[in-house]
Parts: sequence; C-alpha cells; structure tokens
Amino acid sequence: MTSTFHGLETARRGLVTQQNALYVTGHNISNANTPGFSRQRVNFVQTEPYPAAAMNRPQIPGQMGTGVEAGSIQRVRESFLDYQYQGENNKLGYWSSRATSLSKMESIMNEPSEDGLSAVMGQFWQSLQDLSVYPENQGTRSVVLERGQAVVDTFHYLHDSLTSIKDDLGNEVSVGLRDINSILKKIGDINESIASVEPHGYLPNDLYDERDNLVDQLSEYVNIKVEKVSSGGNSLDIAEGKYNIKLLDASGKDTGVFLVNGADYSQMGFQGGDDKIAYNPSGSIEKGDLKLFDAKGEVKLKDLSLVDDNGAMNFSQGKLRGLIESYGYKTYDASGTETGEKGIYPDMLDNLDKLAFTFGNVFNAVQKEGYGLPGTAKADNFFNLGSLSTSNYKGASSSIQMADLLPEQIAASTIEDNAGDGTNAINMSNIQGWELSSTTPKELEGLSATLNLPSLSAIGNGTMKSFYEGMIGKLGVDAQQANRLQNNSQTLRQSVDENRQSVSSVSLDEEMTNMIKFQAAYNAAARNITIIDEMLDKIINGLGTGGR
Amino acid sequence: MRITQNMLATNMLRNLTNSYDKMGTLQDQLATGKKINRPSDDPVVAMKGVSYRDSLMQIDQFKRNFGEAYNWVENSDSALDKATQALQRIRELAVQASNDTYDATQRDAINQEVVQLKEQLVQLGNTKFGEKYLFNGTDTLSQPIDLAATPPKVSTNTNPVKLELSKGVYIQVNADPTKVFTLDNSTNPPSGLFGDIDQLITKLSDPNSTGDDINDSLKQLDGHIQNVTYARSELGARMNRVELMENRIDEQQVIANKVLSDNEDADMEKVITDLKVQESVMRAAMGVGARIIQPSLMDFLR
Repeated sequence: MTSTFHGLETARRGLVTQQNALYVTGHNISNANTPGFSRQRVNFVQTEPYPAAAMNRPQIPGQMGTGVEAGSIQRVRESFLDYQYQGENNKLGYWSSRATSLSKMESIMNEPSEDGLSAVMGQFWQSLQDLSVYPENQGTRSVVLERGQAVVDTFHYLHDSLTSIKDDLGNEVSVGLRDINSILKKIGDINESIASVEPHGYLPNDLYDERDNLVDQLSEYVNIKVEKVSSGGNSLDIAEGKYNIKLLDASGKDTGVFLVNGADYSQMGFQGGDDKIAYNPSGSIEKGDLKLFDAKGEVKLKDLSLVDDNGAMNFSQGKLRGLIESYGYKTYDASGTETGEKGIYPDMLDNLDKLAFTFGNVFNAVQKEGYGLPGTAKADNFFNLGSLSTSNYKGASSSIQMADLLPEQIAASTIEDNAGDGTNAINMSNIQGWELSSTTPKELEGLSATLNLPSLSAIGNGTMKSFYEGMIGKLGVDAQQANRLQNNSQTLRQSVDENRQSVSSVSLDEEMTNMIKFQAAYNAAARNITIIDEMLDKIINGLGTGGR
Repeated sequence: MRITQNMLATNMLRNLTNSYDKMGTLQDQLATGKKINRPSDDPVVAMKGVSYRDSLMQIDQFKRNFGEAYNWVENSDSALDKATQALQRIRELAVQASNDTYDATQRDAINQEVVQLKEQLVQLGNTKFGEKYLFNGTDTLSQPIDLAATPPKVSTNTNPVKLELSKGVYIQVNADPTKVFTLDNSTNPPSGLFGDIDQLITKLSDPNSTGDDINDSLKQLDGHIQNVTYARSELGARMNRVELMENRIDEQQVIANKVLSDNEDADMEKVITDLKVQESVMRAAMGVGARIIQPSLMDFLR
C-alpha cells in the first residue's frame, strides 16, 4: 500500500524542484550579459518509484511515481566548439600582433608620399642636378649640403623611430609573459578549487566558466592542448575534471611541456639572476632565452624551444610568437653557429643600414674623384661613415653624418680649377640608378677613374632605388598578408564564437518562457496539494461521522 | 540555430563597426584623392608609386635644366652675333684702307676704329652671364681674355660645358672659345684672331704699307668671320636639338603624370558613389538594429 501522504510528498517535491528551476532561471537572466557565462539548466530526474522491486515488495498493481528532484545543475556548453575557438583565437593572436607591428612600420616609412625617404632622396638628387647646371654658384652648393643633411636626418629619424617601436615590442613581450603567467596561475588555482568540489558530486559551473574563459585568453598567446583529468571521489560523470594544459610547437605538435598540471602551474620568462624569472628581453632574443620556471618563479624547469637548429622559428603559434618575430631573434645554422638576427623590425633596420651605408659610401667614392671650386684641395668625403665597411655596415643609418664640408668643396667638377664643369655633379645625381652588382667597373662621366661598385656597396643586386622599392614592396606584401589573415581568422573566430553563443548564451525570451513554464508547474503542484488536502480533509474530518 | 539577444547585439555592433570601417577607407580616399594610403593597401601600387614619383621628379629636374641650357646657347649666340658684326666692320674698314688713295689721316681714322672694334671683340669674348664667363670653356670663373697681360692671355680651355637634359644625354651648351677668340703667340708675329687684327693695326699705322699689304689681312679676316659663323651655326643646331628634347620631355612629363595618376589616384566618381552606397547601407544597418534590439517576449507578456 502506498502511504496516505504519498501525494503530498510528490507534490512537495514538484514545488521544490520547480522553485529550484526558477532560481536557476533567475541566475541565467542575471548573467545574461556576463562574458564567458554559459546558461545553466536543472536536470530534472524522477525520484525512485514505489515500490522498489524487491522480494518483500507490497503487492500493488504497478509502480507509482514519487515525483521529481533536481538531479544536477549543468551548464549548457559544447567543449568541441571551445577547442575550435581556441584554435582560431590563437591564429588571430598571431596575425593581429604582426598586423599591428607592420602597420606601425608602414606609418613610419610613410610611403608612397611627398615626405618619405624616397622623396627626400629625390630632392637631394635634384639639388645635385641643379649643381651640375650652376656649379660655380655658392647658393646651389649650400642647397646640396642642406639636402644632404635632410637625407641624413631622415635616415636617423627612421632608425630612431623603428628602434623605439622595437623597444616597445620588447616591452609588449614582457607584458605578454606576465599576462600568460597570471593566467596560468589562475587556471592552476581554479583547478585546485574544482578538484575539491567535484568529488562531492557537485558541478562547480561558475568555476568551469571562469576557467574556460582563462583558457580562451591563454590560447591567444600560445597554442595549447587541453586534457581533462577526473577529480576522483564521487565526481559525477558529467563533471569536467581538472585541466592539464600542454604547450604545442609551431606545427601544432605536442612539445610535452606542461603549462598547467592540475593544481601545479609553470611560469614563462627569461632567465634572470639567481635563476629567477625575468621578463624583459635584453637585446635580441636567443635560442635558449625563453625558459619555463616553477610556480615560485625560481627553479628553471626547461628551455622552451624558440628556433630550431636550422634557424627556423619553431615556437608555438600565437600572439607571443608574433611579438617575438616583430621584435627580433637570433638565428643559427645547422652547426649551431649564430647567423644573425631576424624579425620584422631587425630586418627593416638592417636594410636601412645597408641602404644608408651604400648611399654614403658610393657617394663618397664619386665625390672623392672630383674637384671642388678652384682654390680648394682635392675633394674629401661628403658623408662621414666612421669605421663602417662593406662587411660591417651595421648601424649605418644611425651613424651616418655629413662630413664637415664647405660648399666650395663639393666636387661638382671633373677637371681641376674648372668652376664651370658640373659633370661630376651629374655623376653624383645618377648614383641611385647604378647597378650595384655589376662586375664591370663603373665608368664615371668626364673622368678616367672607374669605380668597383660591388666592393663599395652592402646591397647585393639591383640599384639603390630598386633596393628601396623592394623594401617598401616587401613591407606592403607582408602587411597585406598579415591584415588579410587577421581578417580571416577574425571572421572564423567570430563564426565559431557565434556557434558557441548559439549553444551557451542566455536567451531572455527562452528564460521568460521557462519562467512561465516553471511558474505554471509550481502553481499546479500547489493546487495538487490543495486537492490532496481536501481529500485528507474528507478522510479525517468527513469520514466516520455517520449519524452525527 | 539558436539565436539570443546578446548575439543579435554583438552582430549589430560588428556590422556597424565594419560599416564605419568602410566609410573610413572611402573618406580617406576622398580626402587624399589617393587610392592607397599605405603600402599594404596595394603593395604593387605602392612600389610603382615610389618609382613613378622618382621618374617624375627627374623629368621636372630636366625641365629646369633646359632653362639654363637656353641661357647658355642664346647668350653665346648673341655675343657671337655681335662679334660677327664687329669683324664685318673691320673687314669693311680693311677694304676701304686697302684703297691706296687713302691718305695717312684717313688711315689713322680707320685705324682708330679698328682698335676700338678690337676692344669690343675683347669685351665680347669676356661676356658674362650672371657670374660666369661664357667663353672660357668650363673655367667659367676666370676672365678668358686679357691682352694687357704678358704674355697676352686668351682662353685655351676646350672643355665642353655639358648639361644633362635627358636621362644619360649630355649636351654641350657653350661655344668652344679656342675656335673663335684666338691668339697664337707661337708664331712671329702672333697670329689668331687678335694676332691678325694686331697685324692689321700695325699695317694701318705704318705709312709704308701698301693697299696690297692690307689686302692680305682680308683673307685672314674672312677666315675668322667663317669661324664665328661656324660656331654660331653649331650653336643653332644644338639649340634645335635642345628644343626637340624639350618637346619630348614635355610629353614625357604629361605621360609620367598620367601614369602616376592612373596608378594611385582615386576614381572620384566611384569613391563618391561608393560612399553614398555605404552611407545607405549604414543607415539600413542602424535602422534594423533599432528594430531588432527593442522588442522581447517581455513586451508582450501581461
């Protein structure tokens, strides 16, 4: 026999459970705009029917339902979409950091325009043409000196601006590392909390959300792989467990490096004094510079692979790598010898140095062949390049200076004491179009002397002009590619995010509907109690009163 | 697919941002008149832009050089024209003087004029344009003719003054002074233009010289007149060439400007039309947003 009060209990369970569902609905509505929040739902389960199948069960026609209870409160989320999102977010991080640094470079180079380096150089060549026409004129000569100074100033300006942005990128690397480390620490801490809640059979939904949000953020910086490990105890099957996070390499392969392992987490950084973690890269980043530290930031655990033995970048894709590539890193050949510095900014600075050195050096060579105005000594250098040479041109764009030259000492003339000859000025004005790799000695107009251009230039093939055009062209292509891929990965991330939102985000209409649904069920359960109450009233107060 | 308010809001915001972004690009194009504002907008256009600007600058420069070329040629020509006139006058006077009927005073008068004409020739040879002497080759800062010096100095500078008037084309713009204003001290008596005139002067002031003696000078004078005429015709021919080159450079300038403009200038009609289209797209996006965001089930429940 079922109990007399069976109906009351069943209806009460309904009341409580619908009420719970309403509370969860309230939670969902409250968090409708919380980033990273996934809507939650109460998993209703029917309670054990009466009677339970057993040897001494009461003989009644069938099993009676005993009502409902809130089995679990689960967040609605699809982890496969998280995985997709992290992949796209990772690419976006990489390309957008590249796109930003390239776009800054474009602003500095300011080409094509009326005031970029090519325009300033153009004016310099023009002033030399003017000089070839009025070689005896002191005014024209002064203009050449001023224009020369403008070219030098432009080289300095470009070098300084590029260097200061390079330094900013170094700071950004350091900020990025701090950010990564703080995320890793938080994930470790949340893992710990989750591991202490789950064994009790609970689902710490809000912690899950927070942790997934952090993993999303981490995926922007480095490419990672998340593995789930059960917390044990009485964990539910649908519990998420602890996250173990591994670092992937450039090709997406597992490096075996654990960034987070349960409650343990690592820290990333450069080696400082006393084996302590440091954040600021010093100079360009070298092969073994990036290291993994323990949670205390002390003992070095492992070198993180940055470049392989062939000098190719093999660090995990992401924003951090994008920043390092912009900032610059050292490369090595197969035998492990350092081969130089690579990166967006170092490359541009290197090209600028090559250009400045070749420009100054070739110009000096031509100037030295000619003669100044009558009464001046044999022509001397026009630009001062210090001790730089063809093989050691580094820093030319910052160190190039005008030599201390008087206007009358500019060697416009090819014949001594002939003020009206401007042939060497023509030679000078044509320098930018000379093929620099040509092994046939360059014959100068009006002079018997020849120049061996390859020995004077740090630029391999082509002319100075085409070299500069190539620099701008490459910058344009790189920036265009970065912009395009940034856009692509942004679109992809958006579409994945949309899918994710479609599953997890709170729909107010839906919650409203649920609210009404649960309210109605609650009301009905309450009404059910009234009915049962009336029934009991009948039994208790209405029966056995016959003849009263 | 399940769509929520939040997604709608995010989507609308994204659409609006995209729309603003496109408007920004179009506005940039309108304000600058350029298709591209940075190399990444179109690397090929940017690269060509650098190169085309350079060519245009060079062409502009050559155009500037033409002015000075004309100065040289025209001023030299006009000086040589006056030199021809002076020589013609000397020749006339010599013809007159070769007439044996002229007496000493008449010859003296002729002699005086010849001396003056010689001075004039010296002055013409020392013609300056601005700060430079036209008839001293490339040594433009020193005076080419100084007959008072010992030995008398006349320009021996044969170096051509050359200007670059087109890529790799060097044009001589001066007349070779050694072919016009000459004095050869190696012969006795000195010959050359000034030597020969001096000889004529000597003959004119010598009472013993006959008409035949003076007649001998005519042949020399004819030779010098021819030299000057030759130098002038050479200048004229060069002037023609310079003019032709200038025409070509003018054309090149137009072409270079056109190429530059084709390469990087924005097509205004298109940009303005696009801007208008974009504007209406944006209005639509905003209107739709305003409609979508507002109502929810709540507005219809009780």
